[in-house]
Amino acid sequence: MIQTDLPVKARDIEAEIGSDSGILLVGSKAQAIRIGRIRLLTVALVFAISFVVLAGRLIELTVIREPSPSLAFMSASPTKYTAGRADIVDRNGILLATNLLTASLYADARVVPDAPEAARRLVTVLPELSPSAVQERLASGRSFVWLKRNLTPSQQAAVNGLGIPGLYFRDEQRRLYPQGALDSHVLGFTDVDGNGIAGVEKYFDQEMRDRGPQGRALQLSLDVRVQHALRDELMAAMVRFRAVGAAGVVLNADTGEVLALASLPDFDPNHPTAAPALARFNRATKGVYELGSVFKVLTVAMALDSGATKLRGGYNATEPIRVARFTIRDSHAKKRWLSVPEILIYSSNIGAAKMALDVGRDGQHKYLERFGLLSQASLELPEVGMPIVPARWGEISTMTVAYGHGLAVSPVQFATAFAATVNGGVLLPATLIKRKPGARALGVQVIRAQTSNQLRRLLRAVVEKGTGRKAEAPGYLVGGKTGTAEKAGVGGYLRNALISSFVAAFPMTAPKYVLYLLLDEPQGDEETHGYATAGWTAAPLTGRVVSRIAPILGVRPVDDGGALIQRAMALPLASMQGRGQDVAVN
Amino acid sequence: MSLGGQMSRQVDLTLLQKLAQINWLLILLISLIAGVGFAMLYSAANGQIHPWASRQMIRFAVGLGLMLLIALIDIRAWLRHAYLIYAAALLLLMAVEVMGVVGMGARRWVDLGLFQLQPSEVMKIALVLALSRFYHGLPLEEVGRIRWLVVPIVLILIPVALVMRQPDLGTAILLLATATAIMLLAGVRLWKFAVALGAVLLAIPLAWRFMLHGYQKERVLTYLNPERDPLGAGYHIMQSKIALGSGGLFGKGFMQGTQSHLAFLPERQTDFIFTMLAEEFGLIGCLGLLSLYMLVIAYGYAIAVRSRSQFGRLLAAGVISTFFLYVFINMAMVMGLIPVVGVPLPLVSYGGTSMMSLLIGFGLILSVYVHRDLIISRRPSYAG
Repeated sequence: MIQTDLPVKARDIEAEIGSDSGILLVGSKAQAIRIGRIRLLTVALVFAISFVVLAGRLIELTVIREPSPSLAFMSASPTKYTAGRADIVDRNGILLATNLLTASLYADARVVPDAPEAARRLVTVLPELSPSAVQERLASGRSFVWLKRNLTPSQQAAVNGLGIPGLYFRDEQRRLYPQGALDSHVLGFTDVDGNGIAGVEKYFDQEMRDRGPQGRALQLSLDVRVQHALRDELMAAMVRFRAVGAAGVVLNADTGEVLALASLPDFDPNHPTAAPALARFNRATKGVYELGSVFKVLTVAMALDSGATKLRGGYNATEPIRVARFTIRDSHAKKRWLSVPEILIYSSNIGAAKMALDVGRDGQHKYLERFGLLSQASLELPEVGMPIVPARWGEISTMTVAYGHGLAVSPVQFATAFAATVNGGVLLPATLIKRKPGARALGVQVIRAQTSNQLRRLLRAVVEKGTGRKAEAPGYLVGGKTGTAEKAGVGGYLRNALISSFVAAFPMTAPKYVLYLLLDEPQGDEETHGYATAGWTAAPLTGRVVSRIAPILGVRPVDDGGALIQRAMALPLASMQGRGQDVAVN
Repeated sequence: MSLGGQMSRQVDLTLLQKLAQINWLLILLISLIAGVGFAMLYSAANGQIHPWASRQMIRFAVGLGLMLLIALIDIRAWLRHAYLIYAAALLLLMAVEVMGVVGMGARRWVDLGLFQLQPSEVMKIALVLALSRFYHGLPLEEVGRIRWLVVPIVLILIPVALVMRQPDLGTAILLLATATAIMLLAGVRLWKFAVALGAVLLAIPLAWRFMLHGYQKERVLTYLNPERDPLGAGYHIMQSKIALGSGGLFGKGFMQGTQSHLAFLPERQTDFIFTMLAEEFGLIGCLGLLSLYMLVIAYGYAIAVRSRSQFGRLLAAGVISTFFLYVFINMAMVMGLIPVVGVPLPLVSYGGTSMMSLLIGFGLILSVYVHRDLIISRRPSYAG
């Protein structure tokens, strides 16, 4: 046998075609050969080019192109231990949020030999699992099915003891909040995969991931002791006055640090979804309210600071003001001329409105802007409310804003502004992060120090002699102001739905701490003679909070009646007595 | 080469002579490729021979035996029974339509009691046989006539339509492209291909509206922009490209691929197995496999060229074109050059039916080689 191997020559083809078709004309025969050759070459060329294209693309993808980020790094991988967040601690290093190393149970269902039997045995050690659901997952044939997240070590040991093939554990970190609901609205919470969802957990999400579980803890300005006292008293007041909610914030007046911030109802961040959605609403930062008479502090501050009036000045509060279809009247009407201190002490709407008119619309706007009340507060939380500013800020708005209506701000925002009125006139943005000791916070002088000094005495007088008497905490020289606002509802303000609040600072000789407490729709009781106004609800609450937190904060009680203090807090009160009717100030 | 020499080869070879004629180098190349497959399946199962590598090895062994058997059968038998085989395959395809087993959302299988059969795989071989026989019996000047286009077009379009109905776009494309290659080699005028191409281009908008399934449209759209749905339809392509890129020049090492071992690539043992190779053995490994494929295709093509009969030439060229299309479509798909169509990587991807049909096809190629010098008359009744 003759062996003719590759390579093939066209001659062979020619021979074959020729041998078989003797009837072909010479021309078409030659053409057939030509076509055959071209076709063979064409197909071979197509194959060759295709391979070159494939090889080229391969080189491009593997070597030339920049490696793209793998989805493997976007979610936690079972072999690498990368997921984790830094701890959160309070200003004294008390643990507020940490991680618990847990094992989560999953299965490679392809490896599990006998799904029904495996499910039955597994449920004996993890009775909280549903046998049918477990069996379904084990029989799914999938390479990865979760069976239970976050097992305790004893549960893990029990599962290991079963010796079922195909069950594996994956290390996980479960976020744990040892203080429970205490700081829930500040801390927020994370989802099951450790992503910050709310609160500082969300605001500092990336930061805490970057630091990692072994990294430096995030130190907040909060003091859990103060926080506990605040939340405890707010809770008690909320229950007693059957309020739908309550909020409170304690600030360091000199630094802007938030020492405590609570909003009730709250939730357990370990089980955030267990609470109703409303419980996750932060009234202290996200909620904006018309806060009422507490705004008069600012009105007086801007009137004194701008020189529109003087401490010895006064206003005629004999008659209610009628503008257009509105009537501005006083709830503690004295029906006479009131001095500037009296306007604050008796919380005169008429006086405040007239005072604001003296400051003027533009002046008022400028001061409120400086106090940071016309823009969103800069707190380190995702849940920060936007103020609601009057659409048309005319004369009427000027008068209503003077006593806290028509402008809605968040409680923490108001507390920040208030701090500036008593700390020497410096506005310090509120912060949830502990400042380094000694680092003087950078603030903006919004009113003169002298004005601030006057306001201290005025605010002390409100507690000593005016509507805020029940806020007194003996020895701590509390000064402050009540605020009772009707909540806006459909068709106007609601008489029986009040925001009763009290803003305070102590000790008034040199205020160190500011607090602002608010009750949402409190109801009066027998002891308050049915009144739900701030003087009967928020003021006594403030007194109790101050008595509890002052010792914690190291504020020493003093003798209120001491001569030095009396002189420091002295006010020219009696000057208006002669002008109007004779209601004595006591 | 004398006429007498040619005549002498008309004499039938003995079995032993045929065995000696078999191209063992081609079998070695095929086995090497299959060996790459075993290694990747071993890795895909996280270093276990079960469940994939073991079964694949058994299939390969059975297929290898079948391949040798087919190589030894006289090529004229295939010529004689080409239309019969085609008819049988067509019947099976129709049976799928009537009594097929539904799996993975498609009706592609028939249950033959002993085993399940995928008739579209049988059709891949049967169509090549039928077309080769048709053009074998047709003188070139007849090939050029339009009326002789009717039969092959009917032969092609019936199975293509049936396969599209299953639905199995990948196989339909494979059938069409293989048939095109055979017709091209048979000498059909080029302008006819141009007309066909134009018709296809015109048909695309119609097919888009009336024929393509939602998932097929998704794949095309996703091919055009994989990032539009990185977790849905674009997931495979994104992950696949990531795996390819992460391998780099030398790869991460055997069983070290993260994308695939961490189950970011679902069904990594089947159509996307090339990405595992890329990740674990890098560019070098990929080019190595590509070279093996290229060698096999060059060998098959050389056998086609070497065959003295038109039937043998077209049969070998048709089978090797199918093989080439498998390789090209799968790799181009994995590398994001074309949309995702379900075509396995030949001899490497896990799966029994395509392995079997491929090895049967190689059996035919070997048969063509063994009978390379056999002159077969235009009319099969004259032969042997």
